[in-house]
Amino acid sequence: MRNKTINYAKYGYLFSIPFVLAYLIFHLYPTLYTVVIGFTDLRGLGKTTFSFLEEPFQNYKLILNNPTFMRSLGNTFLIWTMNFIPQILLALLLTAWFTNRRFKVRGQGAFKVMIYMPNIITAATIAILFNSLSGYPKGPINDLLIRFGIIDVPAHFHMQKWTARGIVAFIQFWMWYGHSMIVLIAGVLGIDPTLFEAAEIDGASAPQIFFRITLPRLKTILLYVLVTSMIGGLQMFDIPRLFLWGGPDNATLTASVFIYNQAFSGSYLYNRASAASMIMFIIILIFSSVMFYALRDRYEEKMRKNERALRKAMRKEASV
Amino acid sequence: MKRNVRIIVSLLLVALLSVSLFAAGQTDAGTRAPARKVINVWSFTDEVPKMLERYKELNPSFDYEINTTIIATTDGAYQPALDQALAAGGSNAPDLYCAESAFVLKYTQGDAAHFAAPYKSLGINVDAKLKEADIAQYTVDIGTNAKGELVGLGYQATGGAFIYRRSIAKDVWGTDDPAVIKTKIGPGWDKFFEAAEALRRKGYAIISGDGDIWHAIEGSSEKGWIVDDKLYVDPEREAFLDVAKMMVDRGYHNDTRDWTDAWFADMKDAGAKKVFGFFGPAWLINYVMAGNSGGSKPGEGTYGDWAVAEPPVGFFWGGTWVIANNNSPVKQALGEVIEWITLDSSTSGLQYYWANGTLFGPGGTKDTVASGTVMKKSDGTLPFLGGQDMFDVFVPAGQFASGKNKTQYDESINIYWRDQVRSYSAGNKSRAAALADFKQQVADNLAIAIR
Repeated sequence: MRNKTINYAKYGYLFSIPFVLAYLIFHLYPTLYTVVIGFTDLRGLGKTTFSFLEEPFQNYKLILNNPTFMRSLGNTFLIWTMNFIPQILLALLLTAWFTNRRFKVRGQGAFKVMIYMPNIITAATIAILFNSLSGYPKGPINDLLIRFGIIDVPAHFHMQKWTARGIVAFIQFWMWYGHSMIVLIAGVLGIDPTLFEAAEIDGASAPQIFFRITLPRLKTILLYVLVTSMIGGLQMFDIPRLFLWGGPDNATLTASVFIYNQAFSGSYLYNRASAASMIMFIIILIFSSVMFYALRDRYEEKMRKNERALRKAMRKEASV
Repeated sequence: MKRNVRIIVSLLLVALLSVSLFAAGQTDAGTRAPARKVINVWSFTDEVPKMLERYKELNPSFDYEINTTIIATTDGAYQPALDQALAAGGSNAPDLYCAESAFVLKYTQGDAAHFAAPYKSLGINVDAKLKEADIAQYTVDIGTNAKGELVGLGYQATGGAFIYRRSIAKDVWGTDDPAVIKTKIGPGWDKFFEAAEALRRKGYAIISGDGDIWHAIEGSSEKGWIVDDKLYVDPEREAFLDVAKMMVDRGYHNDTRDWTDAWFADMKDAGAKKVFGFFGPAWLINYVMAGNSGGSKPGEGTYGDWAVAEPPVGFFWGGTWVIANNNSPVKQALGEVIEWITLDSSTSGLQYYWANGTLFGPGGTKDTVASGTVMKKSDGTLPFLGGQDMFDVFVPAGQFASGKNKTQYDESINIYWRDQVRSYSAGNKSRAAALADFKQQVADNLAIAIR
């Protein structure tokens, strides 16, 4: 006999208090503060007083008319695309291999760890490492290429826009394809195995299984990977900033590096940096919603629509 | 029972966390902790913190604890961090902080000048001490705020020279005598490029990369980047575009970038061509070149095969200014150590130890110092320079140095400028486009008007 039920929910609330507090103070408050100072004249070191602008969107106008900001936006999308397409393709390929039930890959654990490894290293370390590797006129990559007779004179990777962007994109790709692969594998393992068994019994080939069963069932996970990677990609900061400070000639200047430069490179344009951050926030919001919409589950939506129509019809019938 | 303990513990943790959060937010200047025996030091190298530790050892009655924060200036990380710490205030605010020549003006005359305490308010008899120590004028100019008060001084003198290879000089001109070599490479850039041509014919590069010559051009130009609150490109600095391009086209250097592996490699003949020399002050010899020469005594690597001569144009590069925080509760102690570091010209002052390399016992690294009085009684003979007394060249070099062509934005603007110059010299864009893009970058990132 129990005279009272134990309510475990309260422990949940209790344990979440530290997080909520930390979130409110270190995350929500700065975010709101950023929104506010985007409409003010706050600039200059050590200033904490500010007044609102007569023309509230002046900072936004200045940023949108700033050619460097526009170029940084373009770079961000360019570098993100250059890293994401090969990243998702390789991750899918590896996922297909690692989850294939017919040819069991040996040493799977070791491979997965090795592929994931770059993600564990600090981004700053990797950026500086690649800066040294691709050094000019002397650097390991140049030395190798010359030794194997592929090129005669050392290539200036840091001065050519496309090699610089390519290296940044490659670092992003190399750091994150393991992570995407792990998430995709988890997604595949969540698919009902009877589906695969049925397909095998029906004599489906491995590509058929992959394209007809795995991929469609993986759509939600793919959407998740796409959206998180896009948000991460649009906020790309540490690698381009530390690799070549956004150079050469602004080729690797991403939007986040631009925002950092506004706020901290000498003139302390906090208000413009905030405006630029809000513009980035809106862009990310739009792109995420577009992706959610494009990759929504059409079947489920159809079901819901049918259900609604059915209910409506029933109600009609009842009222009649 | 056990459950209650758990709840209490978790509540305690929560309370603890929130207390520390609120404590961190409480930084108003009114409620300052009572006088503490701690000096918070912010620097970008370990030089000044080590000096302070040494001062404690030499003066046991000085019982302050030295609390050090070191952040390197690479990638411009030091300034933002220091700015935040100064602006935040509180008991962990920097009491004593160092500023480098690329951005010192911000802390003595610019946006962060209000944090700097006048040396007089620290109890230093500035005027008498300045005269007695015979401090180089540019150091004083840079360290003086808009009200005419001295707020910062350095301990080094960073007038530059041309540091060259004796063996290459002998091969090309038949002598390694600095008195002769200085007439070969200067005065003026024309003679310098004549020398570059002579070196090229023998298969040598006169310098390692465009960064070397840039520091000389930057330091010798008449005006800085900002004139009347607008961006100004000094004709000499603009000419750097042509110089950089010409040097690439004619193969006068190895096309390295300063502070990269290839640049260091050129100090020990590991580059494509042997490099004749580097532009630099005394600190470049001791802190950079000696360690990268591939040896530690004459005969090993390039060690001992170097000499210094007067440069084609006078310049200075780098230097550390020591500044005290106006809000510091330990001003008396700061005055004591700052005077010892920057203005004490006796044989027990820091600068005498620093010049003769005896701060941590004999045999240490020698350097040029700000005090002319100290330099006169010091000996700058270095085995790295084949026994040459470097002070003979570096002391007169100090008088070319001027603090008038510096601005508080130099670090950022120089990054944009050199990026565009390199794009032009690599043949990626036209000269006009490079100049226009440079101005655009300054306007876009720093909101500085372009004329």
